[in-house]
Amino acid sequence: MRMIAIVVVSAALGAGALPVTAQQPGATRDTARVLSYPIPPAGRLVAITNATIMTASNGTIPNGTIVIRDGKIAAVGANVSVPAGAQVIDGNGKYVIPGIVDAHSHSASEAINEGTQSITAQVRMEDVLRQDALGLYRELAGGVTTLNILHGSANTIGGQNATVKVRWGLPADSLLFQGAPPGIKFALGENVRQTNRTVLPGQERRYPRTRMGVEELLRDAFTRAQEYRREWQEYERGRKNVKRGQAAPMPPKRDLQLDALVEVLEGKRLVHCHSYRADEILMMLQVAKDFGFRVASFQHVLEGYKVADEIAAAGSGASTFADNWAYKLEAFDAIPHNAALMAERGVRVSINSDSDERARRLYQEAAKAMHYGGASEDEALRMITLNPAWQLGIDKRVGSIEVGKDADLAIFNGHPFAPASRVEMTLIDGRVFFDRRTAPTLEHLMELIRQKQGPRQVTEVVP
Amino acid sequence: MRLLALLVGIALPGFALAQDGTWALTNARIETVTRGVIERGTVVIRDGLIEAVGADVRPPADARIVDLAGKRVYPGLIDLTSTMGLASAPAAGGGGSGGSGTSAAQPGSATVRNVGLEPGRVIANELRPSASDIRAARDAGITTVLVAPSRGAFRGLSALVPLRDESAEQYVVKSPVALHMGFQGAQGSGFGGRYPATLLGVIAYERQSLYNARHHAAVQERYRAGARGAVRPSYDVDLDALVPVVRGAVPAFFAADRENEIRRAVRVGEEFDLKLTIVGATEGFRAIDALKRADGVVVSLDFPRSTEVTGWSYRATQRHALDDSAATDSAVRRTLESNAATLHSAGVRFALASGGLRPGEFLGNVRKAIAAGLPRDVALQAVTVRAAEIAGVGAQLGSIEAGKIANLVVAERDILGDSANVRMVFVDGIRHEVIPQAAPERRRGAGGGRGGEREEGGEMARVAGTWDITVTSPQGENRASMTVTQSGAALEGTMATEMGTVQVTDGRITGERVTFSIAVPISGQTTTIVFRGTVDGNRMTGTADLGAMGSATFTGERRP
Repeated sequence: MRMIAIVVVSAALGAGALPVTAQQPGATRDTARVLSYPIPPAGRLVAITNATIMTASNGTIPNGTIVIRDGKIAAVGANVSVPAGAQVIDGNGKYVIPGIVDAHSHSASEAINEGTQSITAQVRMEDVLRQDALGLYRELAGGVTTLNILHGSANTIGGQNATVKVRWGLPADSLLFQGAPPGIKFALGENVRQTNRTVLPGQERRYPRTRMGVEELLRDAFTRAQEYRREWQEYERGRKNVKRGQAAPMPPKRDLQLDALVEVLEGKRLVHCHSYRADEILMMLQVAKDFGFRVASFQHVLEGYKVADEIAAAGSGASTFADNWAYKLEAFDAIPHNAALMAERGVRVSINSDSDERARRLYQEAAKAMHYGGASEDEALRMITLNPAWQLGIDKRVGSIEVGKDADLAIFNGHPFAPASRVEMTLIDGRVFFDRRTAPTLEHLMELIRQKQGPRQVTEVVP
Repeated sequence: MRLLALLVGIALPGFALAQDGTWALTNARIETVTRGVIERGTVVIRDGLIEAVGADVRPPADARIVDLAGKRVYPGLIDLTSTMGLASAPAAGGGGSGGSGTSAAQPGSATVRNVGLEPGRVIANELRPSASDIRAARDAGITTVLVAPSRGAFRGLSALVPLRDESAEQYVVKSPVALHMGFQGAQGSGFGGRYPATLLGVIAYERQSLYNARHHAAVQERYRAGARGAVRPSYDVDLDALVPVVRGAVPAFFAADRENEIRRAVRVGEEFDLKLTIVGATEGFRAIDALKRADGVVVSLDFPRSTEVTGWSYRATQRHALDDSAATDSAVRRTLESNAATLHSAGVRFALASGGLRPGEFLGNVRKAIAAGLPRDVALQAVTVRAAEIAGVGAQLGSIEAGKIANLVVAERDILGDSANVRMVFVDGIRHEVIPQAAPERRRGAGGGRGGEREEGGEMARVAGTWDITVTSPQGENRASMTVTQSGAALEGTMATEMGTVQVTDGRITGERVTFSIAVPISGQTTTIVFRGTVDGNRMTGTADLGAMGSATFTGERRP
């Protein structure tokens, strides 16, 4: 309810209400629309009927109905009646799955790596969000509704992440997933060591240059964070115990970098750690244990299958690729069975994109876990829905089709794991943000041109 | 007499700043801007100030009388976005890569100059405007400019400068006017370079610096209250400059053009309760709600290209089929030109400014904004009294009222009409005749004028200088900086990329079009990237052909 209100208000203030000043030449409705996106209308009461509903948490309902009220799932099941006045989406022959959650994305951001220092915990992806990245629209067309926008992997401790919903067309502020816990990007290995960067004579190489250095930086940073926290605690104590006639103590200097690390120490900020090799994963787990925090997710984690028990025991998630490897030395020991093997050992596994291109076909990536590693259909579905939602701390809100959850849904024209299936419609908060019937797909454009223009122009259409 | 006054002025600086005796401009049509139009009246100028204005004012006995015979008198125009008189920025110091224990932001702690990260830089101390820049602006009716660097996160403290021939420190109307902020990182930064390099780092750096300033202010206050036993505040010109900013005593002028930039700037302003003026706002029509939360708005008339506008990429993917691109282009252009009109009808008050355009282009674009729906009187206020108010000198400048500084423009016809004809300009009461000329307008000087004439068959673009290049490909953005020299149509130099510094080869310029190549190692293979672009002043846009790796778009911005 509150979400919807936020979205509607944002739309009214932002792109949805581009100033229309028809009385003036040059500022007519048409010209204002030239630069705006199509804004989907808000649906207050929606029902998807007769669909195959893959809930991700409670199996598959073969011929079911979902009722959405004010952006939340109000009812789901085989014997649910459609309330009067609902906008009905006929799901006959269609498959509905929870909106896909991509636990590793760099879409929607205007900068990715503040690579000047190896610790940049103070920078925030939230500051650099953009709503006009075309990748977002393609992701909607692939059924993706939630993204974890991460800092790049250039730094040992990168920036603070932003969990967003793909509310394409609304101003950048309204992308934010309200209520999602804050997180931060860590990175290990070759990218941090910058081994794959060409450094010319005279150019300085940045510390750290070895995996030893990466660990040292982590321990140093958290030791500083502990001292900083102590400083503030002493200040708070001193402030409460000021005697009459005494001056109140000066507060310590606020340090935004250490603020973020203190939040990690206190379990208020989730760590998403870019990693490849088994040894560095164990190192990270040891550092986290020594400083008393949990790694929420290991990202990429291509050798995760070697240390799956340790990852599971630490309560960490693993977010990996389906079959992408050997693009650098530390990615040589990868196997396509990784996701299924880790899941077997009790790790909550997600499959992420790390790419605007891969993000639009994550459902096919999930299917590979069934193909290679023998994961069950439900388990594979959870790898792109409920599990990444859990890793991001938003599994109470999204990731499965359950009453009370956000109505973030993807409607397929066939089984989502079948190779020829594709997304017909994507809903966020019950609102249709993607509808293939009206989407400017190449196919759609060709059809329009066939109707309106000669074949000569057709060749110009190919993007 | 005039010469004598000038000599005295030079010999005894501070004795009398503005003097060109006493003038009476009679039989003039006076647009006071604040008090309506006087169809036939007199303006009396004495010692650099307006002494009297009105229909029944009699010229004093000692005044030199100029019978304007119906010509129009306006307040001198004010441009709040000038870089006039600033030397091109010196190179930044060596890269300070962050190892363990590097603190987030320490303004002022560097021993080398950190260009773009200098809140304590006092612009009034470094003004060296060229005579031709001053004349070009004055000939267009501009009598006062606010000077600040055009790049950087913390650019320095601006100065409001009257365009006298001998413009220099002692004539400055106000300094500091504001702390100028923006979204550009440290110069010469990048991977392994100086923090902050990216938008991510810049905003974090600004936030940390403003927190540091708050802390600094608290330490100073405590020390002032009783030095004995108190911690002594550090001596830091940059932090000192930020203290009045976080207290709201000195405004922050934040350069923000695009929708998201405007929203980001307003967020920073609100987080620290700054007295915030948004400067640029060329996409303000998309962020009216945010602009209404700012204390001031300066709208640049350097209209962006349609391809630089938020939302464009989406339109570009689908425009081919349904309407022809020329119609879309012109519709976008109309939207951009009607920005000021849209803001006005939404109730936003603003000043208009050049955004770095040459004076002639600036006024040409004021006319375009009027043609797009901005009421002409609002436009005139926006380049006079509104600008004066935003600069904090509403009592001294911006209108023709007794007691204000005698910065006036005399024009044959409407100064904002189709072809303004400025005849005479008064700055601090000093008269400057404008000789009408058929020759093309002078190019702006070091302040960052647009290179290259744009007439058909005219000169070729001037490309020499250092450019910040951003290549946008499906893989993301890559930044590089290119330094080139030009001889005739040939171009050569180097480009510092994330893959190393490489030679710029095959550089050719044809009119406004420029092509050049670089060869860079990507994944162990040498890939030749061919850039094809169009130069528009200090901007360059075009495509970068990455061979087998596809193609990308690029933009370049020349450093001032």
